[in-house]
Amino acid sequence: MPEGHITEILDNTPFIALTQSELSAIREHTSSCSECANAFQAAQISSVLLKERISEAATSAANANPFFQTRVLAAWREQQEQASAWSFRRLWNTTGAIVASMAATTAALAALTFVVPVTDTNNQQTAANQQAAALLPYSAETVVLEQDQGDNQLTNDQVINAIYVDDDEGR
Amino acid sequence: MNGRVRKGDHLSKAPLCRLTPKGALLSNSYEQTSDLELARQARAEDESAFAEIVRRYSPRVFHVAHRFFRDRGQAEEAAQETFLKAFAQLKSFAGRGSMEGWLTRIATNTCLNMLRSASRRPELITPDLTEDETDWLEKVSDSSERLDAEQQVIAADLAERLLETLPAEDRLALMMIDGEGASVNEVAAATGWSESKVKVRAFRARKKAREALEKLIGKKYRA
Repeated sequence: MPEGHITEILDNTPFIALTQSELSAIREHTSSCSECANAFQAAQISSVLLKERISEAATSAANANPFFQTRVLAAWREQQEQASAWSFRRLWNTTGAIVASMAATTAALAALTFVVPVTDTNNQQTAANQQAAALLPYSAETVVLEQDQGDNQLTNDQVINAIYVDDDEGR
Repeated sequence: MNGRVRKGDHLSKAPLCRLTPKGALLSNSYEQTSDLELARQARAEDESAFAEIVRRYSPRVFHVAHRFFRDRGQAEEAAQETFLKAFAQLKSFAGRGSMEGWLTRIATNTCLNMLRSASRRPELITPDLTEDETDWLEKVSDSSERLDAEQQVIAADLAERLLETLPAEDRLALMMIDGEGASVNEVAAATGWSESKVKVRAFRARKKAREALEKLIGKKYRA
């Protein structure tokens, strides 16, 4: 027990934990020191206030909201949904470029596979028709119907060739 | 019996279940499950396991939250935040300590953070006291009688105003040690602080609270 004021004891020890010997020493000192008497009373009131505050907290905790569990689970679900949306976004940010380039490649391949061959086929068919037309310059009908114009069918080249062939044979 | 299953048989033989608002089943079979197993299942996003953790430890978490917050809404918010944080940190629960202790620590730190962010520490001065509070101070100073219900409410009000003047950490130390009679070790375990830090915080808080009340009493006697 120090010889001086008792405030150090009051600040070092909880009021409820003061021993009997400490309390009697405090009382002895406060009988002659009004300053410490005031400090002791303040410590006592502080202890009462805390006790009441704790008691109120215990009562409030016992009467908790019955829907608290529902509220927490709702918040939990919301958090989970946000987390999954966020993880999808993160995945997209990481792989988005690759996925986009793969999609573009697939589209290009599809175009090459389905669109270009159709055009090719059309072109091939046109070419085949032209070739056939070249091989068969006259249809049967033309031949039959235009029998009278047989001479007119000879081209100038054919005529010239025919003349010069005769000449060559003469030499 | 012919062994055929009749309509409704499955209902009578099924374990007692209840529905969540979303329609998911919460089986009461979790009541027997250990904390470690619950943590493992909750980690795998099993909602029923998480619900059981909330059900089991709500009283404890609320007790901690009300230590910091008088307002019911704030206490609930702190408790909810505690459980959501606990879910996020479930990996760190290895079952070495109790889940109650683990949750108490999360709850304490959550409340401390919330209180710090409010950071409102007005000084308690006589003109701020209500007439009831002044009367209460006079009565309690003059007698050591038990307080009636009305006086208890006034005391709790005044206590809250006194605690608001303290930093969050000091407030916690004072509430636990001087209010609840907790040991320095217990406070250290709940907060993760060193024992010397707990002692310093409690000393500072006790001194500040005493000095604030001393001023109020002194002014009262002078007036």
